[in-house]
Parts: sequence; structure tokens; C-alpha cells
Amino acid sequence: MGEIRNFRSGNHDEPPPHGSMPRRLAAIIVGDIASYSRLMQADEEGTHVRVKRIERDLIQPSIVEHHGALVKTTGDGFIAIFDSPVEAVRCSIVIQQNLIGRNASLPKDSRIEYRIGVNLGDVIVEPDDIYGDGVNIATRIEGIAEPGQVYISGAIYEQIKHKIVCGYESLGDRKVKNITDPVRVYRVLPDSDAVGRTRGRRENTLIFLLGIMLLVMASNVLWYLLAPPGKVGKQAAVPTAPPVASPSPQPPQREAAKQAPQPSPSPALSSPSPVPAPTQAPRQAATPLREPEMIAIRGGSFAMGSNDDPTERPVHQVTVKPFSIGKYPVTVQEWNECAAAKACGFTATGKDDAPISNVSWTDAQQYVVYLAQATKKPYRLPSEAEWEYAARGGTQTRYWWGDKLQPGMAGCKDCGDLAAEQPAKVGSFKPNPFGLHDMGGGVDQWVEDCWRRTYQGAAGDGSAWTGGDCTSHVLRSGSWKNDSRYVRPSNRDGYDTNVRYPTHGFRVALSP
Amino acid sequence: MKILRCIALSAALALLPGIALAQGKTAPKDAKLYFITPHDGQKVRSGFWVRFGLRNMGVTHAGDDYQNAGHHHLLVDVNDPIDPKEPIAQDKSHLHFGAGQTETFLELPPGTHTLQLVLGDAKHYPFEPPIVSEKITVRVRQPASSR
Repeated sequence: MGEIRNFRSGNHDEPPPHGSMPRRLAAIIVGDIASYSRLMQADEEGTHVRVKRIERDLIQPSIVEHHGALVKTTGDGFIAIFDSPVEAVRCSIVIQQNLIGRNASLPKDSRIEYRIGVNLGDVIVEPDDIYGDGVNIATRIEGIAEPGQVYISGAIYEQIKHKIVCGYESLGDRKVKNITDPVRVYRVLPDSDAVGRTRGRRENTLIFLLGIMLLVMASNVLWYLLAPPGKVGKQAAVPTAPPVASPSPQPPQREAAKQAPQPSPSPALSSPSPVPAPTQAPRQAATPLREPEMIAIRGGSFAMGSNDDPTERPVHQVTVKPFSIGKYPVTVQEWNECAAAKACGFTATGKDDAPISNVSWTDAQQYVVYLAQATKKPYRLPSEAEWEYAARGGTQTRYWWGDKLQPGMAGCKDCGDLAAEQPAKVGSFKPNPFGLHDMGGGVDQWVEDCWRRTYQGAAGDGSAWTGGDCTSHVLRSGSWKNDSRYVRPSNRDGYDTNVRYPTHGFRVALSP
Repeated sequence: MKILRCIALSAALALLPGIALAQGKTAPKDAKLYFITPHDGQKVRSGFWVRFGLRNMGVTHAGDDYQNAGHHHLLVDVNDPIDPKEPIAQDKSHLHFGAGQTETFLELPPGTHTLQLVLGDAKHYPFEPPIVSEKITVRVRQPASSR
């Protein structure tokens, strides 16, 4: 890990011993834009700006997030190296899936699609480039990949096959240019990738149909307005609320979205044609109709941690920037919209207003990625510091309401209310001073940070800790099955990143 | 397929009315869960490796529903009996190893502690009958010096 970090700074502090080549084993990602020349020919400056933006907003952060290092960007591609093959492939999948989202609204011939090849090999590392067979093979694999796909070598496949849950299609041994031995190649089939495409198509159909419907409605209205002029005033005076404004009465639209081929007549019948801005509606239909209710939190400084448990030490001062956080944990209903869009792994059973549970950290990430794409807002999980700051609600006591247990404040095994079989519906207990419900008790809540046993060396800027071995992540809040010690805002625990457990849920955050 | 499953299920229900509602999956009779290290009564420095042994069954990820396979849970100072109808609890004294780990580096305060392993199925329920290790006691010494 350390090596990778030093890599960008060019190993200045530790010169390679006795001039020997700095070699290392690395997972290499090579990405390249399909039909770059055609895109450049069509719109040179525009394409350049878009590519740079993708590199800045998507590729670089994804690489950093997965503990890799960007070696270089070329005009139409990039090379990155990773310590871990698992992270390398995850990163590739993340990039491809995000690109699907970005491309969804664009006509086919102006889409920027990457081919990505991943290989494991021993490489020579220099400050601004890497060399070796391994890189060449990665480049060749990338060359045979289809646009939007991730192809991996047999060496990578052997490392990750039991670790990343997705499909792999063997493409057999391929002879690649200038490499003597044939290379076994696999195509990675992340479910959501394949589905994302069909979703895109489905959404297009939906938008098209809605467009037609609106046209029909608009012409009806026009006709109506022209024919009996007496009623015009009334119509305009009672504008029905546009379907965007309120989050609650919207499931019907979502259902309409699910059965795109036969657009249900309900929206047309129930809403007497919102006359203004008919162009706005089709776009809205493609976005999720149920965004979690958010509360804006002003930034501030607080003492994070406590002396009640070794994991909460040392108490340290943290300054948190302004952000928004979900008023409640994400609910079953909200989750199931993501599942219906095939962007989340499973459909949850349970009451609509119960918190979603039995989700892994990876599941929670899928939801926030879906929500961010669908709303075009940077939804994410809160950092651990943000969570604790929000949970304390400006207090420094043992619980947000004081030092003593009180009934009605939180759902836990001995919090004073009847122990329940199920987590209570969200918002069953009193909100804290910031207006947030269930910050403590109810369901455990995943945050963005990797788990570490103490706050030793923690940053004071409220950002998420993503360094180190990230096979487990931090859980906050305690659950309805835990006792009152776990309800404390400073309580923390770690759990395997990819494992689901019945009491684990999450809430979302949003940067301003 | 569904019908077959229904028939199998109803047969099972008819045969085993007693445990029909239990979540637990059955495990081979000769399955054995045990500590490789430490051994019962061992004195250790805080920060010690605990290694889990399992015979006649396999270790897999939580969520993987294979026959005769499960994942480890380490119970530290737990006195409550194991409830086979509930998922194994998740808190600071019930450590989960859902990624298929077979060892852990454990840091405990000085003093006497008990350790016990419990095997969980794909959904963290104990098997039927529960596959548990002997409950062992370790004595954690005062740290000798600062590191």
C-alpha cells in the first residue's frame, strides 16, 4: 500500500536500492475510448472537454477510491495500477457503470465509451510510466474488449473469481499481438451493467411514450381552451401540483415506469394536464420519484469519540463541512425502487415505511450510486465523522437527550420500550436536536469509512477514512437487537464489507 | 420443481413436527468445531491470534447457501445460551467472520475471558443441532511494556 502512495511522488524519499529497477507485482488497468477518432472528427473541442471531465470526475476519483494509482492519461485513455486485483476490477466496473449513466441521455454516436482491460503482471515502475509485458498484455486485452465492457486476463480471474460476485464469461485462450503465449481472457458481466443497458432502452421507450402522451394531452387542452372559452380562467387558477414537488403521492408513476410498454392511463386521467412546461415531465419520469427526505446540517466543530470503549478513543476534535443527511434511514419502499430499476441486488420484503435491513456495505453503495445517477445529485453515504456530528445534534452527553436512558427516544433492547421482533417503522422515536430520527437504535447504519480499531491518527476534517485494508466498514447507531450501550452516538463497530446481516441498514448523505 | 419442493417440504414437516419451525439447517453428526489456538487455560499477551478449526464441514462466505458449510462466529465472554431460532447476535462480544476468515487477531483487556466458536449458516442462524466449540478460558496478562 505504502508503495503505491509513494509512487506518484516519484519515490523521492526512498530511492530504489543500488539503482536496481523498481519492479513490483501490480494489477494493471488499461482503458481506452472506443471510436475516439470519430468523436474527435465530429467535435474536437467538445469531445476533449468531455473526456477531461470524465477523467476528472469519474476515473481519477474511482481509482483513488479503490486504492489504486493513476499512472498516466493518454489522449484517449488511461493506465492505472492497483495492489489488489479485486479493487482493480471493482474500479473498472464502477467506471463502466457510471459511464452508462452518463451516456444514457446522449445519442448513440456521441457517447463516450471505454474499453477496459485488466491484467496482473510484474512491472517496472517509473515516476510517470510503467513498463513490462504485463502492461502490453493489458493493452491487448483492452484492444479486444467491446466498448463498455471489462475484459480481464486469466491471472486476474484466478484472483477474484470467488471474491467479486458477478458473472464471468470465458472467451478462451486468445493470441494477442507480439505476445508469444496465448492469453486466457474473461469478460466480466456485472449484473447491473447488463441491466443498465436494458434500463436505458426501457427508459427511452418510456420517455418517448410519455412524450406522445403529453402531446396528446397538450392538444386536448389546446382544443379545450379554444372550444369553451368560459372555463379557461378556472383551469389556470387551479394549477395542480406538479408531480415533482411532493415525495409522498408518487408510487403510481413509478409503477407506470415499470410497465413501460403499456403506459397506464392513470397519470393522464388523474392529473388534469399540467399546462406549464410539458417538456419537463418526461425527464422527471426517468428520475426516481422517491428521494429520501434530507435535512441540511450546518458545519461545525465537535469532540468526536468517547472514553467509554477502546474503539472510541482517543477523543479528538473534528470540523465538519456543511452537508445534508437523510432524516430517516433509507426505507424498504425507497430501496425497492432501486431494486425495481435493477440497480439494487434484491427486492426487500417488509412494510414500506420500515427501514431497509439485511444490506451489506456494498449493497448500500449500490443504492447511493443509483440515487446519485437517477437524481444527478451527489448522493453518498455519510462519513463516520458526519454521522456522529449529526447524531450528537450539538450535544456532548452520553446520549443526545442526556446522560440517562429515557423511553421514546430510541429503539433498542433495553431502551425502555417493548423489545420488538422487527425494527419499528422509521421515525417512531423522537427526533434529535437536528431533526433527525433514529440516529441510535433501530437499524445499524453503514457509513463510508473503512473500519479501524481506534481513532489513532484520524483526520480532523470530517472526511471518510478510506485508507488501509478495507475489507470491513464502519457501522453506527446500534440496532433494535443491541442494548443501550450501542445507542450512544459515539458507539462504533466494524463489519465485513460484503456480508449482509439482518440488523444492518443505512442512511444517505449529500454534499451541498 | 416447485411442486417437488412443496412435497419435500411437507414430508419434512410431517416427519419432523418438533423442529419444523426452526431455522437451523442440519449439519453432519461428526462435524467438529474447535480452537487450534489458544488452548483452554492458556495465558496470553493481549493481542493474540485465535485460529478456528472445523472438521467434516466447510467454511464459506455468509450468504453462500451450500450444504454442510457455514461461517465462524467468535463469542467473547458470552454467557447467554445460544438461541437456535435467532440469527447469531452481532455486537462487540459476538464477532462475525462472514468473509470466510478462519483466524483473527484479538485484543482483550487483561483478565480472564471465555471464548467459544459457533458456526452460522448463510443467514447467520446456528445449525440444528448447533455446531459449537468447547468454551475455553484464556488469561490475558498485563502488557509488559509499551510498544
